[in-house]
Amino acid sequence: MTAENIMEQEEGEIGAIRSNHLRKLIGCMLCHPAPLAIGLVLMVATTAAALLEPRLFGFAIDEAIVPRDWSKLRSLSAIYFGVILIRVVSVIGQTYYFEKLGQRVAQDLRCRLFSHLQRLPVSAFDRNPAGRLMTRVTNDISSLSEMFSAGFVALAGNALLLVGILVWLLVLDLRLGLIAGTVFPVMAILTVYFSARLKVAYREARTRLSALNAFLAENLLGMKIIHLFNRQSAQLGRFNEVNERFTDSQFATVRIFALFHPVITICSGIAVSLVIWYGVGSVHDASLAPGVLVAFLAYVLALFQPLREMADKWNIFLSGMASAERVFSILEWPVELPAGEGGELAPAVPIASLRGHIIFENVWFAYEGDHWILKDFSLEISPGSQVGVVGHTGAGKTTLISLLMRFYEPQRGRILLDGKDLRDYDKRALRASIGIVQQDVFLFSGSRADNVDFWAGTGKSGAELGERGGSLSAGERQVLAFERARAANPSIWILDEATANVDSGTEARLQQELESSSQGRTAVLIAHRLATVRNASNIIVLHKGQILEQGSHGQLIDLDGLYARLYRYQRARELHGNQNV
Amino acid sequence: MSSGVENLKSKPANSFALGRFLRLRWERFLEESSFIRHYLWKYRASVGLGLLALVLVDLMEVVPPILLKESLDIAIEGKPLSQLAWIALVYLGVALAQAVGRYGWRIYLIRTGILSGRDLRARFSRHLFGLGASFYDRHRVGNLMSLATSDTDAVRMEIGAGLLVLADAIFYFATVPVAMYLLSPQLMLLAFIPLPIIPWLVIRNEREVHNRSEKVQEALGQLSAMAQEALAGIRVIKGFAKEDVQLGRFRAKGEELAGLSLRLARVQTSFGPTLDFTMSLGLVLLLFVGGKQLIDQPVDAAGAAVTLGTFVAFQRYIQKMVWPMAAIGVALSFYQRAVSSSKRLKAVLNESSDVSDRSEVMAVMPKGAWKTPGGVEFRNLGFRFPGNSIEVLKDVSLRIEPGERVAFIGAIGAGKSALLSLLPRIYAVSDGMLFIDGIDVNRWPVEELRRQVGFVSQDVFLFSETVSENVAFGLCEWMERDSEKAVVEKATQLAAVHDDVVGLISSYRTRLGERGINLSGGQKQRLSIARALVKQPSILVLDDVLSSVDVQTEEKILQGLRSRPGRNTEIVAAHRISTVRDADRIVVLENGTIRQQGTHQQLLADARGAYRIFYEQQQLKEDLEHYAEAVELQT
Repeated sequence: MTAENIMEQEEGEIGAIRSNHLRKLIGCMLCHPAPLAIGLVLMVATTAAALLEPRLFGFAIDEAIVPRDWSKLRSLSAIYFGVILIRVVSVIGQTYYFEKLGQRVAQDLRCRLFSHLQRLPVSAFDRNPAGRLMTRVTNDISSLSEMFSAGFVALAGNALLLVGILVWLLVLDLRLGLIAGTVFPVMAILTVYFSARLKVAYREARTRLSALNAFLAENLLGMKIIHLFNRQSAQLGRFNEVNERFTDSQFATVRIFALFHPVITICSGIAVSLVIWYGVGSVHDASLAPGVLVAFLAYVLALFQPLREMADKWNIFLSGMASAERVFSILEWPVELPAGEGGELAPAVPIASLRGHIIFENVWFAYEGDHWILKDFSLEISPGSQVGVVGHTGAGKTTLISLLMRFYEPQRGRILLDGKDLRDYDKRALRASIGIVQQDVFLFSGSRADNVDFWAGTGKSGAELGERGGSLSAGERQVLAFERARAANPSIWILDEATANVDSGTEARLQQELESSSQGRTAVLIAHRLATVRNASNIIVLHKGQILEQGSHGQLIDLDGLYARLYRYQRARELHGNQNV
Repeated sequence: MSSGVENLKSKPANSFALGRFLRLRWERFLEESSFIRHYLWKYRASVGLGLLALVLVDLMEVVPPILLKESLDIAIEGKPLSQLAWIALVYLGVALAQAVGRYGWRIYLIRTGILSGRDLRARFSRHLFGLGASFYDRHRVGNLMSLATSDTDAVRMEIGAGLLVLADAIFYFATVPVAMYLLSPQLMLLAFIPLPIIPWLVIRNEREVHNRSEKVQEALGQLSAMAQEALAGIRVIKGFAKEDVQLGRFRAKGEELAGLSLRLARVQTSFGPTLDFTMSLGLVLLLFVGGKQLIDQPVDAAGAAVTLGTFVAFQRYIQKMVWPMAAIGVALSFYQRAVSSSKRLKAVLNESSDVSDRSEVMAVMPKGAWKTPGGVEFRNLGFRFPGNSIEVLKDVSLRIEPGERVAFIGAIGAGKSALLSLLPRIYAVSDGMLFIDGIDVNRWPVEELRRQVGFVSQDVFLFSETVSENVAFGLCEWMERDSEKAVVEKATQLAAVHDDVVGLISSYRTRLGERGINLSGGQKQRLSIARALVKQPSILVLDDVLSSVDVQTEEKILQGLRSRPGRNTEIVAAHRISTVRDADRIVVLENGTIRQQGTHQQLLADARGAYRIFYEQQQLKEDLEHYAEAVELQT
């Protein structure tokens, strides 16, 4: 993990609520009607049972205990037990089904996001570091999942309970309800006020935490320099300052909480005192049943719990919304490949009976601005022929391949395949028809067979390769990459510095296998080592985006130009062994 | 009879085993809670005040049900109404006292946690600043960061919130049952019938949650790794048009994660409500049995044992007991998290630097005295990187005179970097000896040694600060700060980077690492040379730092270095002949041993020597470059 990565994870967690994002999120929930509906029904049941419970206890007092009705007490106790059971079971069920909903929605969004990332053009990955995109797939999706499973339930459930209690209070006894209710608006306003202050304080704490993380990460990465310059104590002093600043911001949040909760306690105390004072008087006058008063007190005490919980869960909700914003903004990036509903992709089908006749026609290409990598580049590769491409680093060799694979599109000119413009082919079909082996072999974790078969579909077992084939030698990796490409039975072969890391024995073997696999198929060989391309029917020497020399090995040696010099240089090096100076 | 004998025999043994078990358990507790206890003791005044405030809150918690009982007794039993206003007032008073208490424990207890977190972070970071290269080779910065943040945070949470929850639960248990007992011992027993099941529930739940959440974490890790691979290998996937297969695999792993998360949720979500249910059973029993008692009571029993008020007060007490029951579980999980974090933190805190001052170290220089002459001697030096068995250096012996310019040349892996990194003791010297001005490096104070050796590493690291601050990083604290600007500019001029800096948006005050500020590799290398020059070292060590600059700039830098005032020993490692050809002595390294040494001319004279071969290859390469340039000029 780099400093940048770490900072990335800490980026502002608190976002604004956008109605269009909210609408999309609700849409995501509606895709899973079963857990949503069950969860909502159970939520209503929970609320109802929670509302009923204190009233039932009071009712038992008034209807059974005070009139000394034993049989009624028995049945009311049974009902009371039943209501408790219903509440407990429905709470468990509700949490479970909303968790399920959260997991389903997370999985949907995760796959949609992943599919979208897979379908982005390669250029999008040049601009956005993989680490940042990773954070979207993992952290943001989990915070969204938490929002669905915890945030939504808490907000909706508590809001329901709150309204239920308020209504119930007024229904039970209007006067007493109004008296107890006087405190409620004050409470609500205070809650909103403190939540707003908390939000600001949290954001400040977050910012300071990321400053701390960034500072520490950078210093850990540069620890050698710090030691070499004896700056440990100076840097540590600066760390302590940053640490202190973060600590202060933590105190600020604690202070807000420290005020908020006592204020709620006082409000609640006022409400209960009023109810006792007025309510007991009413019971005394016999204008109120004692059981109703008991229930009333229970409700008044319960009134503040949902309010408090809603304030607590508000942050989960907001950070979920911030994640939603980031995820949805990626989902709006233009993709290069279309997909079905939910990001489904069909397997790619290679183009049938491809001859492999490639023509570059006055192609101009730049990654950025007018830094032309290819300048008015023209080349014809006849069907079934082998072309070698040599040249310095930065000459444009790999770019040539990227254009052929349609990772990028040329700014001017066009590329024809079998007489048809490359742009008229389906991208995935095109790529599936081309077998490519690169210098920097990227293997996936899993077994040898996974890396070969997964691309082809044949069944073979093998040993685990470790993280990205870490347990293999460069040569073995190269062979594996070659097998992987061959498994797809491509119509066109591209070997991009494919034998740069292997010993000459392995190179000869690969060369032979390639010759047998590419019999009668077009092959483009890119190489530093001229021996690799020596047998190609046509060799082009690329320099700064243009063809400098072209011809067979013999013709180019006779020309005594760049190719001939390169050839002599490499011969000299090989004669002196592997002295890589 | 025989069983009796056995009992007699086994009893002392058992109690002995139990004693031993308890002692071991106690020792383990002391060991695993050492951080927690340390900070609790350090902030004991604050902890004490916080706990006092908590006691106040919890004591007050007992009062409201009694007030409720009194007021109901007034309402029903016909006691005088005049007391009612008092009851309401007392209730308000209780609320106020609780408010004060709640403010107090938040401020004091949570504050203790935050301060402890700060201290632990500072302590851990201080330790990290003291550990050397051999430690950082083995540990990824990402992991260390998560130790410094998440793990210190887990300890902070235990000291703040964890302690609070635990103390709260304990105080509840100490007060509420007492109040219940005073009201009615019978009803208290009744309410507590379902209680013994709770510890069992808590323990079982902890274990299940732990197991299942480990599985979730594992799946989450695998999913992340998969996403990481798919993003890093996007070109391969696209090249093979296998986006669909990747998506399928990702989807399957995501399903697995969702399934495991649900399995976890199943235990997690049922725990709280199950506890709640257990306590609510007490309420049902109260209603049923307590209600029956009320019904059976004679109508006009004066001073009846159980009044309706008592009954209702009990209902409130039972409801109050739900939280402390749940709190045990919460406290336990806080504690466990803190313990496992402490363990991880301690593992790093127990690491010590392999490069540190020994007790018999001699103070070589009086403070303020400036330079050592700069003579170096390698004597039978061998080296392996820590934790690696490959011999990078083998029996290297070489003397470098003060003021001499020595260049090392050799292929990648010949041991140049390793050799040079021993000079400032980036790695410890353990095999053979290394002397600086006749004194074993291990006997030099590390700080003094590093002041004398200006080491420029091949992997450039600049801080995301201004250019000026980066270069001035090399200034010693006792150097005069007011001449800083002049010193910095002098150094950048010597390193041939001054003009580049002036060309940046805000010149020397340009912040590095911000968007849009991209220095080239060569510029960064030259800045790092300037940074070392500011230090005015007695021995300047350049480890292959001129590879990213072109030959003309290289020449300029080398000239600058030669012309600098007070020039001392210079040791350079390089790839290129042009870098080394003017050195007083060139040393050719191969496979960790010295193969050849001499001046450029002397070495060239050996037609079959390694140096001569390098030379010829580079000639050809230059020829090639010149040709390519010429072609480019034509087009």
